Amino acid sequence: MFFKLNTSIGQPFYVQLMQQIRHAAESGALQDGDQLPGIRTLAEELVVSPNTVARAYSELEHEGLLELRQGSGAFLTIKRRARGLTERVQAASRKVEDLIEELHQEGLQDNEIWRLFETALFHRAEIGAE
Amino acid sequence: MLWYKAWLETRARFLISLFGILFLCSYCVLHLEQEAVPGTLLSYYNYVLTEGYGMLVMMWVLAVTLLMMGGLLREHALGSASFTLGLPVSRRRLMMVRVGVGALEASAIAIIPTASMCVIASIWGKPFSLSQNLFHLVLLLAGGAFFFAIALLVSSVVRGEYTAPVVALGVLLLIAVTLGDQKMRLFSPLEFMLGGEYFNRSSSLLVGPIPWVRAGLWVCLAALLTWVAVRVVDRKEF
Amino acid sequence: MNPTPVIETIGLSKTYGKTDAVSGLNLRVMPNCITAFLGLNGAGKTTTIKMLLGMIRPSGGEARVLGRQIDSSDESVELRRSVAYVSESQRLYDYMTVAQIIRFTRSFYPAWCADTEKTLLRMYELPPNRKIKSLSKGMRRKLALLLAFARKPDLLILDEPSDGLDPVGIEQLLETLVSQCSTGTSIFFSSHQIAEVERVADRVCMIHKGRLVMDASLDEVRESYRQIDLVFNALPDEYELRMPGVERIESRGHQVRMIVSANAESVIERARAYYPSSTEVSPIGLREIFLDRVKEN
Repeated sequence: MFFKLNTSIGQPFYVQLMQQIRHAAESGALQDGDQLPGIRTLAEELVVSPNTVARAYSELEHEGLLELRQGSGAFLTIKRRARGLTERVQAASRKVEDLIEELHQEGLQDNEIWRLFETALFHRAEIGAE
Repeated sequence: MLWYKAWLETRARFLISLFGILFLCSYCVLHLEQEAVPGTLLSYYNYVLTEGYGMLVMMWVLAVTLLMMGGLLREHALGSASFTLGLPVSRRRLMMVRVGVGALEASAIAIIPTASMCVIASIWGKPFSLSQNLFHLVLLLAGGAFFFAIALLVSSVVRGEYTAPVVALGVLLLIAVTLGDQKMRLFSPLEFMLGGEYFNRSSSLLVGPIPWVRAGLWVCLAALLTWVAVRVVDRKEF
Repeated sequence: MNPTPVIETIGLSKTYGKTDAVSGLNLRVMPNCITAFLGLNGAGKTTTIKMLLGMIRPSGGEARVLGRQIDSSDESVELRRSVAYVSESQRLYDYMTVAQIIRFTRSFYPAWCADTEKTLLRMYELPPNRKIKSLSKGMRRKLALLLAFARKPDLLILDEPSDGLDPVGIEQLLETLVSQCSTGTSIFFSSHQIAEVERVADRVCMIHKGRLVMDASLDEVRESYRQIDLVFNALPDEYELRMPGVERIESRGHQVRMIVSANAESVIERARAYYPSSTEVSPIGLREIFLDRVKEN
């Protein structure tokens, strides 16, 4: 699969990797049993510290989405429950589109909406962290 | 491999000096006798030998001074010192290898021409004396050790590619001039190398036993200067 | 659970005459990490590195590299068996060929990795029989890096490694750094290229005027460093907004801009008590943090 790391969104690389792998699993881009590149290979491909990839993998293993096998890499273990997520994500995506449409009609620009979302999500994340 | 590096660094200078001096020495043996005062065959050759050695001493001192240029200070100026000093080797060892390779080359520049003078003389049927040759060689190497150490010391203090040899040759000239005086001759390494004190004008031979003690003293002085040079480089910060 | 640092300095100082090149530096570099060493020219980076390698004697303090004291000559030789160093604008021996200097360097390192040597020779397209004198600046740089990487060092110290490399060369260098790190080499490198640091490093140490002004993991930076822009109708006293984590406050008219290194949420909470008409939070890059730290001091 393809990964894309963004230095300017204020999120650690390992978190971005975790989200992208999770998303791939939810959207069906990755299937149960699929193999992910090894830590070294992926680190070299993305040109990030291998510790970043190692951390993302080990946290996902902790969550039960990945299985790390010594020497042979990382394998996806998607449980039944995850499947249902696909529909939920699709429904949420429709809601977000509706909301954005509504805000447009109220005269807000894209970048203003973007900032509102960011601030609101950031606010939640900080409370959650405490 | 440090020896290999030191050899690569000095190779060109060494070979040019060696072949230059070899050529001049051969020329002396083969042609200088024409300029000699008429007399016996023996005195012809002794004249040649003395003149030949006089020339060898001068050329040797010049060659060794140039040969001993370089080293860490020069590498610092060129920018490769940080590579050399990153290797798991102490500065002292780097210096010792340089001194070792330099000493071998300096000896070679003295011994090979001396040997060639004997060989050429014997091939062309000219008289020669092994003991006279040996006497000259001992004087040359012992007194020369001092100049060798001076060159090493200068190269450890002055970093310029041209300033270092100029300073070294300046020191050389200074020693030759100030100690060349009749009263100071005893303390001049150059006079010692030329052997004026042991020279008999009527026979053109070096007379008396080889002065091992004085030779030893010059070598000791050279060792002291070498030690100072090693300390200087060891204390340098770069 | 605390691994021994590969580099540890305690109050390390170097004084030249009356100027302090490095003063009271406390640095800890962790193993198996890529640590970036940032600072302006003349901030003391190179002096620090040269002290670590025993090329310059410290005026004060102490330091250990791979557990060995740097000020003992014998220990310094020992630690250099496991450390590779490429200095800023390092030159190699002009009179050797590429193959000769490889053979020369290899003789000092029993753990020399022939595979790395071959791979990099091919990747960097270095001609083995060419004299170093006739190589371009970029090629020399690549050769110096090859000689460092193939040693299989425990610690790699690079001073401005990307200096003189073209974009492709820089990318290859970063890839090699990553692959070295994943085989257990700790990397400590100084750089002016903040974008590459931001991408590849685990931690950042910043030095300014000989002092450490920042030591943080990049995850931490991304997670907690924020710029908060507030607009107030009635501007509160700056003092009211000062709290732990606030690195800088600047006000211009009705606007206040804050840079916080932690506690962004509590800072916003505090600011809300003064009824801002707008609150904007945005992540802040290493570049801004760097410029800010350098300006501040």
